[in-house]
Amino acid sequence: IQDDHKLSASELEEKYGTSIDKGLSSARAAEILARDGPNSLTPPKATPEIVKLLKQMVGGFSILLWIGAVFSWISFGIQLAQGAESPFDNLYLGVVLALVVILTGIFAYYQEAKSTNIMASFSKMIPQHALVIRDAEKKELPADQLVVGDIVEIKGGDRIPADIRLIFTQGCKVDNSSLTGESEPQSRSCDFTHENPLETRNIAFYSTTCVEGTATGIVINTGDRTVIGRIASLASGVGNEKTPIAIEIEHFVYLVAGVAISIGVLFFIISVSMRYKILDSLIFLIGIIVANVPEGLLATVTVSLSLTAKRMAKKNCLVKNLEAVETLGSTSIICSDKTGTLTQNRMTVAHLWFDNQIYSADTSEDQTTQPFDQSSPSWTALSKIVTLCNRAEFRPGQENLPIMKRVVVGDASETALLKFAEVILGDVMSIRARNKKVAEIPFNSTNKFQLSIHETDDPNDKRFLLVMKGAPERILERCSTIMINGKEEPLDSEKAEAFQTAYMELGGMGERVLGFCHLYLPENEFPDTYPFDTDSMNFPTSNLCFVGLLSMIDPPRSTVPDAVSKCRSAGIKVIMVTGDHPITAKAIAKSVGIISATSETVEDIAKRLNVPVEQVNRREATAAVVNGMELKDMSLQQLDEILCNHSEIVFARTSPQQKLIIVEGCQRQGAVVAVTGDGVNDSPALKKADIGIAMGIAGSDAAKNAADMVLLDDNFASIVTGVEEGRLIFDNLKKTIAYTLTKNIAELCPFLIYIIASIPMPIGTITILFIDLGTDIIPSVALAYEKAESDIMNRRPRNKRKDRLVNEQLAVYSYLQIGIMQSVGAFVTYFTVYAEQGFLPSTLLGVRVNWENNAINDFEDSYGQEWTKYQRTYLQWTGYTAFFVSITIQQVADLIIRKTRRNSIFQQGLFRNKVIWVGIFSQIGIALILTYGLGHVTALNFTPLRFQYWFVAVPFAILIWVYDEVRKLFIRRYPGSWWDKNMYY
Amino acid sequence: GLILLFYLVFYGFLAALFTFTMWVMLQTLSSDIPKYRDRISSPGLMISPKPDNALEFYFNKSDAQSYAEYVSTLRKFLESYDDLKQSQNINCTPGRIFDQNDVAVKKACRFNLSDLGQCSGKEDKTFGYSKGTPCVLVKVNRIIGLKPEGEPRIHCMSKEEGMVEINYFPPEGLIDLMYFPYYGKSLHAHYLQPLVAVQLAINSNSTKEEIAIECKILGSPNLKNEDDRDKFLGRIAFKVQMTE
Repeated sequence: IQDDHKLSASELEEKYGTSIDKGLSSARAAEILARDGPNSLTPPKATPEIVKLLKQMVGGFSILLWIGAVFSWISFGIQLAQGAESPFDNLYLGVVLALVVILTGIFAYYQEAKSTNIMASFSKMIPQHALVIRDAEKKELPADQLVVGDIVEIKGGDRIPADIRLIFTQGCKVDNSSLTGESEPQSRSCDFTHENPLETRNIAFYSTTCVEGTATGIVINTGDRTVIGRIASLASGVGNEKTPIAIEIEHFVYLVAGVAISIGVLFFIISVSMRYKILDSLIFLIGIIVANVPEGLLATVTVSLSLTAKRMAKKNCLVKNLEAVETLGSTSIICSDKTGTLTQNRMTVAHLWFDNQIYSADTSEDQTTQPFDQSSPSWTALSKIVTLCNRAEFRPGQENLPIMKRVVVGDASETALLKFAEVILGDVMSIRARNKKVAEIPFNSTNKFQLSIHETDDPNDKRFLLVMKGAPERILERCSTIMINGKEEPLDSEKAEAFQTAYMELGGMGERVLGFCHLYLPENEFPDTYPFDTDSMNFPTSNLCFVGLLSMIDPPRSTVPDAVSKCRSAGIKVIMVTGDHPITAKAIAKSVGIISATSETVEDIAKRLNVPVEQVNRREATAAVVNGMELKDMSLQQLDEILCNHSEIVFARTSPQQKLIIVEGCQRQGAVVAVTGDGVNDSPALKKADIGIAMGIAGSDAAKNAADMVLLDDNFASIVTGVEEGRLIFDNLKKTIAYTLTKNIAELCPFLIYIIASIPMPIGTITILFIDLGTDIIPSVALAYEKAESDIMNRRPRNKRKDRLVNEQLAVYSYLQIGIMQSVGAFVTYFTVYAEQGFLPSTLLGVRVNWENNAINDFEDSYGQEWTKYQRTYLQWTGYTAFFVSITIQQVADLIIRKTRRNSIFQQGLFRNKVIWVGIFSQIGIALILTYGLGHVTALNFTPLRFQYWFVAVPFAILIWVYDEVRKLFIRRYPGSWWDKNMYY
Repeated sequence: GLILLFYLVFYGFLAALFTFTMWVMLQTLSSDIPKYRDRISSPGLMISPKPDNALEFYFNKSDAQSYAEYVSTLRKFLESYDDLKQSQNINCTPGRIFDQNDVAVKKACRFNLSDLGQCSGKEDKTFGYSKGTPCVLVKVNRIIGLKPEGEPRIHCMSKEEGMVEINYFPPEGLIDLMYFPYYGKSLHAHYLQPLVAVQLAINSNSTKEEIAIECKILGSPNLKNEDDRDKFLGRIAFKVQMTE
């Protein structure tokens, strides 16, 4: 721990070899830079790219395909040694399988890399600069060039570029919220005020912001050695959990691999015991593996996820990790920040009180007028005070911007008042110019008011106007009259009571209340030339006339209440976690609906029943507001109890460290937790959460690094659209997988029947690859564009233990029902082709050995004709093509039925998703090209096919459609029935 | 329980559907000729006897056992060409296509075994194997409706000159057009495909050597014999190795 805060300026100069006036020399700075490295946080250690690539190539189904490739090469080796006639077939097959793995691996890697790149470019968007004294000159340098000993100057609005020991300050305040979570700006000075360097006032920390004032200081720590840097490196220690979708895909891969291996081994044993040669059995095994593995599926899933990620980016959710797309959809608890996320992050006038009446002001983001009644002369007086007793100013040159968007120099409340006045009165600056300021006492914390004296713009009125604003009770103390409907009336106890009630009411809404009063100074006592002196206060500051109250709040974003209620109907619990005061937090929670209008906290019930808090049955209260102080003393059990028993929770006055505790508590409930955060101190919580959401505007780099997602507009409502997309993609992935798995059975059955019935091979391994990686790819991606079947935001988040991506019903329905139907359709085509060429089905059974014998060149068909081996092989390829075409045709039906899981296709609309049609046309187009275009390339085993064979499977395709419609009809008709339980996936 | 019943019904239905569609499909087929014959437009050649795996003959002319299988295969193969079995067959006009399209009952042409001369197995019961002049019968694959043009004949040659002398029965390896066209198993039950016997008189100093022989069908423009991929289309290659 450093003791730089204890040292004097000259001791510091000596320690760091610098001079406060001249700074470091450039040469010296370069030396230190070379020694310490640049002043930036080291990004978390990235996995080397090659490791990422290799991971893609051995993950998922790749292992199975590698096994298939190795077996192919083994059988190639054996056949070569035996001098068989065409051993190269297996060599090629192995090469093709290896290529498939490598190419899909590269593809998945590329997709991942693309989404990571978006992030990388994003974090580089805002270069930081710092004003440094070097070689006795002020220079603007990139912040990462700073070194220890540099003298830097900061001013209001700057981000502190490193850990800095302050040596000169003027009204300097810093916002340490990203470090400590305190939302109030803290003043900084040159004095050593605390032993602890984190508490002392003379150090400003890297990545916090200077809110106002100016300061000069010596850089004492840079980069990873800063306090923030040390915290950030702690955050990388929090382990990264597997995303829910990764778990689901793993589960699915195990399932399919399990089926593939068990069928493969079973049929290996069967074929060996049927006296097939071991080598042949091995080749069958390869076929079975290839048929069972949906080679294109993982690539399809990646594409679907990245399509959704793109869609979400358009809606201001930037996803860093593709899988996080779905995580958001399964979220069951959102722990949201208040400031900036739920609220607009700017003070705005919310209520006014004058003439004994409370008026509400418009607090929306794009206000251009204020609707409340402005006819009272009291309002005229009040508006004058608001305008004049205010030091805030617009930065020049923003006349064309909407008022709410203009940048203001001044603190938060003055800014609010300035904008409020500008909206109602227009051109505040010229009003101020017409009412020239002659004296002013700025706000300070001892007298708690602000005062100024002005000439008036009424040429007939030579009086000076004294205007004052400040803490309402202090202002009231100084008043003897109160303005009602423009008339000054004596301030009696009744009127004081009314003031008290209004003040309490506004304060109870969590608003910051200011009182306003004025006094017209009598012309005779204060002539034109009167020398006002603010030090001796040679003017009255009591017996003023009270005009009214204004209350301000950081109002909720207008889209948030809707978003919160959407979360509610979507079964997502929204927990507010804020550093703010409980009353403010509760007020905002109520106004956005996190605490609903009817629910009460324990304290509310106690107040209503007029009993002590201890006597209230805690279970009756649905809402809870938990103070950070209480949280500190709570055991984990108590926290769990709160999280469990209350549906509406607000954590107020919490530190970012406590956020981590809250997140862990939610996860103990089995929830999928999304957490928003912007500060560096939030990064452990962001990492720990199932999905960490960093703020794009207010967020620190550390938070963005730790998060899985970045909200570009810092708006809570964007999270909800993200949830919607996440849920949709989960549903659509289900459809994609169901679609893809179905045809695997139609690819597998040929092998099984070939082994058992010894018919000529119905479909080749290469042909299967053409389906999996050719015709089927675009249609399965097209399902990602499918619209939701019903309002997905009206159902509960999925239970990660029960609602699997690939459940038993999905596998069984795809494999054992639709898949079998497809196989039947394809076999009918196969038998038709053979029968019409002369081999009736009865002739085909059991012919395998002779059929494949190269030496038999007078193989007799059902009509007595004799076939050479090559003529048979060519016919076999025609069979492959016919089988392929039939699967393709039936996959069109499969694609259409997969559009919905419950609704009729007609409810969903056949033409709403245009991409599906692109899929269908691509599917048929690719099949046409393969059959007629590449039908003469021997290696591909396709042959031109008679046109009518395309239609043999059409009745089966129609049957699939009709059957699925009936299935869906029964599911809709008889919810909860046996049918529903077994047939709904 | 219910689930088993469901699948029983479901698969029962699918099986019935499969059977039904297959039945419908088979109804559209003629039992006499296949619907399409485009996959076999030109016939392949095959020999008899056919050694087990590859087309390689190994025998010792002085060891009857070594060629017993060839001889019995030939004998069996020629059984259907026996004169007694051909009593129903008619004598056709040589050199002309025997068109029977208009006739309901298709007649088969007689193939005289004696045309095969020394390879007929009548005089030499070992088909020349014992004498070092083994006979190999070359046959043209049956294809329904095939009508060869020109004067088709089988011609064989050895790659190595002077190792073997080749004799053909019938002379010059001619295949008579009267055996064409074939009308299919059901209409043309007694059909006998024409044979050409190739007698290989192996040179006495070429014993123990492998002799590669290739036979081709020549003289007919519509019978292919040069296909790149199909090594048996209109041609056949085999090897003979004889020891003493």
